[in-house]
Amino acid sequence: MEIRELRRLLAALVAAGVNDFTLETGEYKLNVKRGHFSAAVNAGQGAGHDHGQQAAPLVSLGAAQTATSGGAPGALALGTEAGWAGGNLVEVHAPIVGTFYSAPSPDAPAYVNVGDRVKPGAVLCIIEAMKLMNEIEAETAGIVREILVSNDAPVEYGQVLFRIEPD
Amino acid sequence: MFRKILIANRGEIALRVLRAARELGVQSVVVYSQADENSLPVLLADESICIGPAAASGSYLNVRNILAAAIVTGAEAIHPGYGFLAENAEFASMCEEHNLVFIGPRPLNIARIGDKASARALAAAAGVPITPGSGPLPDLGAANAFVAQIGFPLILKASAGGGGRGMRVVHSLADLERQFVNAQEEARAAFGNPELYMEKYLEEPKHIEIQLFGDGNGNVVHLFERDCSIQRRYQKVLEEGPSSLDDGLRARIADAAVRLAAHISYRGAGTCEFLVEKDGNFYFSEMNTRIQVEHPVTEMITGVDLVQEQIRLAAGEPVSWSQADLKVNGHAIEVRVNAEDPDHDFRPSAGVITDVHWPGGPGVRVDSHAYAGYRIPANYDSLIAKIIAWAPTREQAIARLERALKETVIEGVKTTIPFHLKVLDNAFFRRGAVYTNFIARRMSS
Repeated sequence: MEIRELRRLLAALVAAGVNDFTLETGEYKLNVKRGHFSAAVNAGQGAGHDHGQQAAPLVSLGAAQTATSGGAPGALALGTEAGWAGGNLVEVHAPIVGTFYSAPSPDAPAYVNVGDRVKPGAVLCIIEAMKLMNEIEAETAGIVREILVSNDAPVEYGQVLFRIEPD
Repeated sequence: MFRKILIANRGEIALRVLRAARELGVQSVVVYSQADENSLPVLLADESICIGPAAASGSYLNVRNILAAAIVTGAEAIHPGYGFLAENAEFASMCEEHNLVFIGPRPLNIARIGDKASARALAAAAGVPITPGSGPLPDLGAANAFVAQIGFPLILKASAGGGGRGMRVVHSLADLERQFVNAQEEARAAFGNPELYMEKYLEEPKHIEIQLFGDGNGNVVHLFERDCSIQRRYQKVLEEGPSSLDDGLRARIADAAVRLAAHISYRGAGTCEFLVEKDGNFYFSEMNTRIQVEHPVTEMITGVDLVQEQIRLAAGEPVSWSQADLKVNGHAIEVRVNAEDPDHDFRPSAGVITDVHWPGGPGVRVDSHAYAGYRIPANYDSLIAKIIAWAPTREQAIARLERALKETVIEGVKTTIPFHLKVLDNAFFRRGAVYTNFIARRMSS
């Protein structure tokens, strides 16, 4: 598994509140336990090489050889996410780089919370880029099932912000 | 010194800047497109942030996302590498407006010297020779009047053109008469503007460029020259330094370049390109206001680190060397290894590099972002590595580079290495008889 996929997977697990997660493939077995947050990968093969600065305190990765990608980076993450969600969720991606705000002002309530029903055009959050506040709107009617970014966090292009269960 | 900089580029130059920053103790934020998620600079970065889709217009040219990435990550400066936004004066001034240091020249330097007409005027004002050229030519009569002053051969160019498109070499009045109207129509069709001008055409020049470094206060040093005459369709293929020109001529060209850069109080690394004729006449052609692909040639023969020096200067430190400190030691040659198939007209060979082995041993440098398992995206240029050999003499450097290229293994894609080996083996190349028409004249099979 690529370190970046692992990072994403960990973020998604945290956001979804999953406490115990196991993934087994032909090459490795990954077990993540939360609460005290530890993770371990048992690689079937390959010498350890650790690129992961951010993830380093959380995981020890005896990486399976980087004979990697070509085909489907991210396929793993998608599969597992669908697993916890139990439905077809529509992802809302960040269209720009900036700072994520869940509410119009620090004192105001969040635009949306998990469980809220939204209509197309409903404001989900703000991404601030270069002092411009960009409202991010829902394109699908449905129920907000996951909010994957915390208030005031930087977001990158294409990052998943919300998952909505369409009506 | 900065604590953290943002690298607004990809591929080998992003890695080159990352390495320079790391050796200075500076953290790097690497921005990347979705196509470059698994690229080496991203994997090695202290922080990375996705700024857009594979198409460069939405990512590496997306000024807003790049500036936002710098702001949210707390980067203090932006290194633009080469290409993309490196010579975009507006981007440089937007960095300044957002209190980010642009690691490069002042926006005004970029704007004035980047425009072809303005650069020629500045060169003339600084006493630097330029190729004799006409103003806009409204009709054939005006063209004939220019011919009477300069003589043949001449090259017809479209005022709105670029990248070699629409250029025609004319050798006689009959030729000119025949080509003029065609060229006007072609310019109108291609650029929406039929205006033409003419320049003296140099038949077999050398492409010689001077590496410069200015402090922004009118003090400029040169780091000698590179000979980049070996080109294919105006793209450099192999670069070396020093050139085979005699020392007097080398000094005169370097002086001219320094004069021009000092004239505009140039700041940072830059390069003045010249065309040099066999009789020793030389003409300024353009100035590049950025670090260049072939900068390692200069680093190998002078022992300096140009990219670290760029970062240091941007952080407010003085230039590390005076002209007297700079000396040429030995000879260096760089080849650009592209993922292209030289047997099929250099068509791009994108795909996965299944295995790679780089050369080693004394005097060999490899600047590459490729690794086994790396998929070369089809969205960007085909450069996958620069292999540079240094040795005390040119002859030894050729032998060393040949040895290094034969050690190199890149599997899964075609590369230009077999072509480079043929160049190195060419008798004209070996004796330094290399002009910009080398590939067309000496390598066509």
